[in-house]
Amino acid sequence: MDISEMFETYFERLSEVAESEKYKQCLQCGTCGGSCPYGIASPFTPRKMILALRAKLIDEVLESGAQWLCTSCYTCSYRCPSQIPLTDAIIPALRELSLLEGNPPEELAAALMNTARYGNPFRESPRKRDSWVKEVEFEVPLISKKGDVDVLFIPECFGAYHRRCREITKALAELMYLIGIDFAILGNEERCIGDLTRLSGEFGLFEDLMEKNIKTFEKYSFNRIVTHDAHAFNALRREYPKAGFEKDVLHHTQLLYENLDKLKDMFNELDYTVTYHDSCYVGRRNGIFEEPREVIKAIPGVKFVEMKRTRENALCCGGGGGGVWLDSFIRNYLKERPAEDRVKEAASVGANVIVTPCILDVPMFEDALKMTGLEGELVVKDISELVLEAIKG
Amino acid sequence: MDEETRIGVYICHCGRNIAEKVRIDELLDFAKTLPNVTVVRDYKYMCSDPGQKLIAEDVEEKGINRVVVAACSPTLHENTFRNACRRAGLNPFLFQMANIRELDAWVTESVEDATEKAKAFLRAAVNRVALHEELEVGKTKINPNVLIVGGGIAGISAALVLAEAGVKVYLVEKEPTIGGNMAKFDKTFPTLDCAACILTPKMTAVKAHSNIELLTYSEVEQVEGYVGNFRVRIKKKPRYVKEDLCIGCYECVEDCLFAEPMFPSEFEMEIGKRKPIYIPFPQAVPLVPVIDPNTCMWLTAKKCPQYCREACEPDAIDFNMGEEYADVEVGTIIVATGYKPFDAARIPQYGFGKYENVYTSLQVERMLNSTGPTGGEVLLANGKKPERVAIVHCVGSRDENYNRYCSKVCCMYSIKLARLIKERTGAEVYNFYIDIRAAGKAYEEFYKKAMEEGVYFIRGKVAEVTDIAKSEEEKGKLVVVAEDTLLGRVRRIPVDMVVLSVGLEPQEDVDRIRNMLKLSCSADGWLLERHPKLAPVSTAAEGIFIAGCCQGPKDIPETVAQAEAAAGEALSLIERGEIELEPNISFIRRERCSGCRICIGVCPYGAISFDEEEKVAVINPALCRGCGTCVAACPSKAAQQHLFMDEEIYAEIEGVLL
Repeated sequence: MDISEMFETYFERLSEVAESEKYKQCLQCGTCGGSCPYGIASPFTPRKMILALRAKLIDEVLESGAQWLCTSCYTCSYRCPSQIPLTDAIIPALRELSLLEGNPPEELAAALMNTARYGNPFRESPRKRDSWVKEVEFEVPLISKKGDVDVLFIPECFGAYHRRCREITKALAELMYLIGIDFAILGNEERCIGDLTRLSGEFGLFEDLMEKNIKTFEKYSFNRIVTHDAHAFNALRREYPKAGFEKDVLHHTQLLYENLDKLKDMFNELDYTVTYHDSCYVGRRNGIFEEPREVIKAIPGVKFVEMKRTRENALCCGGGGGGVWLDSFIRNYLKERPAEDRVKEAASVGANVIVTPCILDVPMFEDALKMTGLEGELVVKDISELVLEAIKG
Repeated sequence: MDEETRIGVYICHCGRNIAEKVRIDELLDFAKTLPNVTVVRDYKYMCSDPGQKLIAEDVEEKGINRVVVAACSPTLHENTFRNACRRAGLNPFLFQMANIRELDAWVTESVEDATEKAKAFLRAAVNRVALHEELEVGKTKINPNVLIVGGGIAGISAALVLAEAGVKVYLVEKEPTIGGNMAKFDKTFPTLDCAACILTPKMTAVKAHSNIELLTYSEVEQVEGYVGNFRVRIKKKPRYVKEDLCIGCYECVEDCLFAEPMFPSEFEMEIGKRKPIYIPFPQAVPLVPVIDPNTCMWLTAKKCPQYCREACEPDAIDFNMGEEYADVEVGTIIVATGYKPFDAARIPQYGFGKYENVYTSLQVERMLNSTGPTGGEVLLANGKKPERVAIVHCVGSRDENYNRYCSKVCCMYSIKLARLIKERTGAEVYNFYIDIRAAGKAYEEFYKKAMEEGVYFIRGKVAEVTDIAKSEEEKGKLVVVAEDTLLGRVRRIPVDMVVLSVGLEPQEDVDRIRNMLKLSCSADGWLLERHPKLAPVSTAAEGIFIAGCCQGPKDIPETVAQAEAAAGEALSLIERGEIELEPNISFIRRERCSGCRICIGVCPYGAISFDEEEKVAVINPALCRGCGTCVAACPSKAAQQHLFMDEEIYAEIEGVLL
C-alpha cells in the first residue's frame, strides 16, 4: 500500500468506531503517554501517533512498531480529556494496517491465524474445548442436551485450553454447582469470543466470530451469560449488542456477589493476607470495583490489604490486547514488564495472595513471580479459586 | 378597524445568514400570493437604518397598515421593528416577526427544506398579523432599592457603586463574612499586591456605608414580582451571637470549652482548624463570631458550662436564636453568587486525599497567607519546607470527563503560586501545563518574569501522581508522571509537594437561584447573559443582572468590571423611574365568564379577583404579567390574552400547517 491507500484504509476503519472523530480534537496534552505502561519506552505514544497522523507520517509509526506496544489497558482512553477512543479505535486500526502490510509480531500473527482456523488461538481441536468437564466430579451439562437454562457459562479459549486457566474454569463450575445455579455450556459449539482479536486489529475476523457466535446463542434458550474471561465479558457486553445480541452478561465476580449470602453460610476460615488486582476490563473499563472486594472481605480470617494503584488507577498485567502473545516483542523495548512491577507492588503491601478477576492475569502474574523471585512469598489465585478454597477448607 | 388590511412583507437576507439557505426570490414570489399583502420587499439587513426606512416609506406612500418582517428571532429585533412602525405612525403591535434565521436557516440542512419552511413561517405571520389589534403599553414604576445576592468581590463592588450613587442596597451573603474567595488569596496576579490590602478596605466600606444593609449568614429564599417591583424574602440563619451587641473582642472564642481549635476550618480549606465558636478570619466583616451548631457542645448535647456566654461582656450570645426572615422590596436584583472550586478528589490519579502532600491551589493560597494556618509559610505535612514542588494545571478543566471549558484563571494563578512558593521556600517549581493562557494586561510579562526567576514549565498534562519509586532518587517522594510533549518523552519528576490547580465550577445551589429568579444557564451550568457580547450583564429576566463568576470563570479585574457594569445597568433603570410593560396581558370576556374562579387559583401573580356583584373574574392589568396560565385554565374561553388571542393563534397554526 502506498501512503494515501494506508490513510484511506485507516480512516475508513476509524469511521466505523463510535466517537473516533474525536481524534481531531486532540489537545496534544500527553495524558495518554504519561498513563501508558509502555509510554516511557514507546517511540510513538498515542499522542504522537495522532500528531503523526496529522502530519501524514503513518508509515513511520508502523515502522516503529509502536502500535504493538499497547496492552489495551484502557488507562489512556479512561483519562483522555478529549475522550478519544484510543484503545478501541486509534491503535487497533493502526494494527490492522500492520497486519495488512504483513509484518505483525510472529507470535501474535500465529495466534490470530489459529483463531481463524480453529476458533481458538492455541491451535487446539475444537472438539477438545470441553475436555475439562471430564476432570470434575460433578455433571456439567451441555445446553444442547439440557434445553432451557438460567445461565450459559462461557469458559472462552484460555479457560477451555490453557492448562493453568482450566483450573479456574473448573473452580467456577464447581462453585456454580455448589450454589445450585441452573447452568450449562455450549461444549464444542463454543468458539472464541474474539475481544483480543478485535483489539489486535483483526476487525474482520472479530466480526466473523461475532456473527457465528450470535447464531449459536440464538439456537438456545437461556437468561444470561456468565464468564470469568474479562475480555469475553467486555466484548459480549459492549461489542456484541452492536450486532443485535441482547442478553444480559455477567462477570463471575458479579455472579459470586449476587450469591454472597449463600456463600457466606458455606465459608470456612482462611489464613491469608489478600490483595485484589483490579483488572482493566473488569474495573476501569466496566466499573466493577466493589463486588469482588465484598466477596473477598466476606471470607472469615482473610486480612484484606489494598495495593497503591487501585480501582481506576490499577496497573495492567500486560496480557490484554494481544499482549499475552507479544512478550518477546515487548522485551525489545522494556526491561521490566508491567506484571513484574505489579507483583512487586502486591508483595510490598504485605499480601501473600494476589486475587484477580481476569483469567489472563493468572499466567501473567505467575510468570512474573518467577522472574522477580517472589515465588513462594506470593501466590496468584482467581477469585473463584479463593472462594472455592474457603468452602472446601 | 374599518379600513382595508394592507400588509407589507419585508424579507431580510441577514447578510448570508439567511440568504445562503433560503431562496429569497422564491420567497418573494410566494409572499405576493398571500392574502392582504400589498407590498413585498427584500433587503440585505432589515435591521439597518435604510432597512427600517423601507417600512416608514411604505406606510407613507403605499398606505400599508400591517407589517411582517421575516428575519431573525424576535428576542433580537422585535423591538427594533416595533419602534420602526411606531416612528412611521403605525401602532407597533400591528407587526409580526417570522423567524427564518434561528428556527430555519441556521438549523435546516437543505436549501429546499429551508425555503419551504420559510414559506410556512411567512404565511403564519401574514395570517396572524391581519387579526392584530392596536394596543397601548402600560407603565410601571421602578422601586429604587437594589438586592445584591453574594458578597464576594463582585457583590461588594456593585454595592459600593450603587450606594455611592445614593441607592439603597440589600447585600445578602450566605457565609458568616463577606469577602468571598478573594479573601482567601494571599496575593493577586499580575501585580502581586496583597489581596487583603485591596479587599478589606472595600469590605469595611460596605459595613460602614449608610446605604448598604448587610445581611450575612443569610440566604435569599423567595423572590416574587417583576422588574421594578420585586418582593424578596431573606432567611437569616441563626449565628447565636447578636450582631448589634457584639464588639468583636474574641473573648468568647478564647474562653470556649475547647481550649484548642480542633475542627476543620471551612475558610482555611480544611488545612487549618477552628473552634465551634469562631470568626472565619481576622478581617472578617462583620467581625462577629458564629457558633457552629454541629460542633458546639451546648447546641449538640446541651452539655457545656457556656464559658463563651460568661466571657461576653455585652451579653451578645443567645443560644435560643432561631431562623429569622426579612422581607424587602426592591426594583432590581444583581446576582453575584460566584463559583465553587473543583473537587480535586474526583480525579483519582492525582492522589488528593490519598497523599498528604498533595494540596489544592486554594489550600496553598491559605498557607501563603500570613493569617493562614502556617502563618505564611509553605510547609509539608511534616513541617519542613519543600525542596521541589509540582504545580498541575487544568485540574478539572479542559477535560471532557469533568468540565469542557477552560477555567481561565488557573494558568495565571498557577504562575503566581509558582513565584510565591519559590520566593518563600527556594524550592524548584515545575509547572505542568497544556497551554499557557496569559492573555491579559501585563499577564504575558508576568509569565516571562516567572521563567526568568527559574520556574520550570513542562508542556504536558500530568498523567498521575504516585509514591511508587522506580529509582533511588524517587524514594520517599511523590513522583509526577507526564509526557513532556515538547521533548517527546515521558518524564517522571520526583517532588515533595504537588499543588493541584483546580478549576472553577458553578455554585452548588445555582439551580435553586436560577429557578427562583427564572434565569437560564449554559450547558456548563453558568448563569446565562442576555447576549454574549452586547448584553453581558443583563439576563433573560428584566431587571435582573449578573456579575462575576456566576456567569463564567473570570479574574478579579473582569469581575469588578462586570460588577460595576451591572450596577450601571441597575442605575439606568432606577434613573428612568418607570418602564413600559408588554401589552400582552390577559383580560376576561365578561359575557363568557361562568364565575368558576379556576383562574384565580392558578394566577401566579395574584392579579385576578372576583367581582361578587357581577359574579365574574376581574384581572388587574397592573399585576398581570402575561404568562397566559389563566387563558389555558379557563374552561369557557373567557380569559384571553392580547397578542395571543385564540383567533390569532389558530390563524398562525393554519399558516404553518397548510
